Amino acid sequence: MRIALALAALRRHRARTLLAVLGVAVAAAMLLDMVMLSTGLRESFRQLLLSRGFQLRLAPRGTLPFDTEATIPGASEIVRLLRALPGVAAVSPVLGAQLHVPRDSGAVTAFALGIDPAAQGDYELVAGRDAIAPDAMVANDDFLRAAGARVGDTLLVAAGYDPQLRTFTGERRLVVAGRARFLYLSAGQPAVALPLRTLQRMTARLRGTGEGGDDVVSLFMVRLRQGSDVEGTRRWIQAHVPRVDAISTAGAMARVDQRLSYFRQLGLILGAVSLIVGFLLVTTLVTVSVNERMGEIAVMRAIGISRAHVVQQILLESAAISLGGALLGLGLGLATARYLNGILSAFPGLPAAIDFFLFQPRAAWTALALLAASGVAAGAYPAWRAAGLPVARTLREEAVA
Amino acid sequence: MLLLLLALQVRTIAIDQRLADDAGLRVGDRVVVSAAPGGAGDTVVVGAIVTRRADPSEIARNEYRVRLHLDQLQTLTRYGDRVDRFAVATRGAAGTTRALEEINDAAFGFHAYRSRDIAVETSATFKVVSRFHRAIGVITIVASAIFLLCILLLKVEERRRDVAALRLIGISRASVLRSVVLEAAFVSVLGSGVGVGIGWVMSAAVNAYYQAYYRTPLRFALVTGDIVLLAVALSLALGIGAGVLAALRLVRSAPLALLGR
Repeated sequence: MRIALALAALRRHRARTLLAVLGVAVAAAMLLDMVMLSTGLRESFRQLLLSRGFQLRLAPRGTLPFDTEATIPGASEIVRLLRALPGVAAVSPVLGAQLHVPRDSGAVTAFALGIDPAAQGDYELVAGRDAIAPDAMVANDDFLRAAGARVGDTLLVAAGYDPQLRTFTGERRLVVAGRARFLYLSAGQPAVALPLRTLQRMTARLRGTGEGGDDVVSLFMVRLRQGSDVEGTRRWIQAHVPRVDAISTAGAMARVDQRLSYFRQLGLILGAVSLIVGFLLVTTLVTVSVNERMGEIAVMRAIGISRAHVVQQILLESAAISLGGALLGLGLGLATARYLNGILSAFPGLPAAIDFFLFQPRAAWTALALLAASGVAAGAYPAWRAAGLPVARTLREEAVA
Repeated sequence: MLLLLLALQVRTIAIDQRLADDAGLRVGDRVVVSAAPGGAGDTVVVGAIVTRRADPSEIARNEYRVRLHLDQLQTLTRYGDRVDRFAVATRGAAGTTRALEEINDAAFGFHAYRSRDIAVETSATFKVVSRFHRAIGVITIVASAIFLLCILLLKVEERRRDVAALRLIGISRASVLRSVVLEAAFVSVLGSGVGVGIGWVMSAAVNAYYQAYYRTPLRFALVTGDIVLLAVALSLALGIGAGVLAALRLVRSAPLALLGR
């Protein structure tokens, strides 16, 4: 009965109800998108960091992984030290550099990773063999396309360029052993991976006779055994390996949070604004609707309909508008999130696997629950007015009017 | 002071305000700079503390910046007689073109670019953010338009009895239509004015917050004349549109029907 009356009241002004539902739908879509933006980016990054099970990353002191060209000297000794720790399951040393494949018209430049193939966590092999032999490398599709190469080809690869002599330096012939998908690189970035020792030797001349000779890396990734104390191990490494910053996944998340806090805050602000807009829209509409029906409500009260019944009917009206709008907004929100994610995925330097708008059922339910709660709250004021209506006076005024 | 430093052969460096604040450094302080943590370094004197320019590319990068003399940095980093880039000042646009051609014709292993072209290449981040803001802006405008349309329809429909009374005492449909549309326009302009005020306060709050958060003089939100004009024009157009729609519905109905009889 209450539901039928509430729906009848909404049907009486179809255009108005439709506009209100549309308004709530847009607000709900925006709210869902902003909830996804404020939580999804963080979750997406966490999933990426833990995708290969490495809980700790060791970067040169004062830097983030691959944030600068700084390197960590004495890499072999640090690897031995880390592998001797009881909780450590694997250590993956990584050196980052740029390699060039000379071509008739210039050169193809790619980001190169020197890795330990047995412990690497930077790529997934898609086809062919891993870069195990000293003269082997794996490459991603972007590199193969740019260099016009295929698996099995041998390429002349250089680590640097001498502008005085106009010649490439650190040259070496490498065989493309396999095709790989790199996990942490941005979309469209040509990349290769080769044995760490090979890359260290190729790039040694570029670093000159600096500290550490050619035994340097840019990063260590450390995988701990199940149940190991991540924070305890991190603190131990920080205390015993003074040239590195040991960063746990939680620490990396905190730094990413700081760098990308703008998007999280934007999400929170626009989400709150969407909620307020939806709330105001429903409150206004239901209040006007109740004002127009004062006589009708007075008659209902006069023939014995209880206050609770009137209140419930009005709350049902506002809940129906909110729910209809929220359901419509759910679909609209997912579509706009996909579009917005497409825009932000072009962000330079961010891994291609990062999603700014990650759909999580919990986020969707949070958005819907917030909107439903605000919808019911929006009906509270007009319901309170209707419940406190002076029946006799209202009937008299309606009769006079 | 400078003569004394020269006499002592201690080089000076310039540091940015952020580093000075965090490390508690002042002009005249002696510090050791090295290429690697714990590595051998040079003792230098803080000769100047500089404020960074409002550079968007430095946002969210909590980096410190130190300026050294070129030869000192080359020695410290064992970089040899190398530099990463040269900046060349030219005399006018023609001079730039001529210098570009001459340098690129004679260059050994490097290439000259216009500053403008480099700025375009390095502004990819801001293009992405700008596209994202534009998309969010469109969604916000759609939401606002529906909200405005709804509110104005309700506002005009509230006038059913007034309109009926006006029609019954002989006021023409056109006059009623005009008065309703005028009222809608007035409400829209008034709302826009309040909105511009709220927007201005919000932008001031956003700037104050993010300038403190990122420690930059960069302005994050700008309320310009164009933006105000767009907001008011959009609001006025929507208001008038909604007013016309609602008023047409009213004036087409019989006055007695509007009174519910």
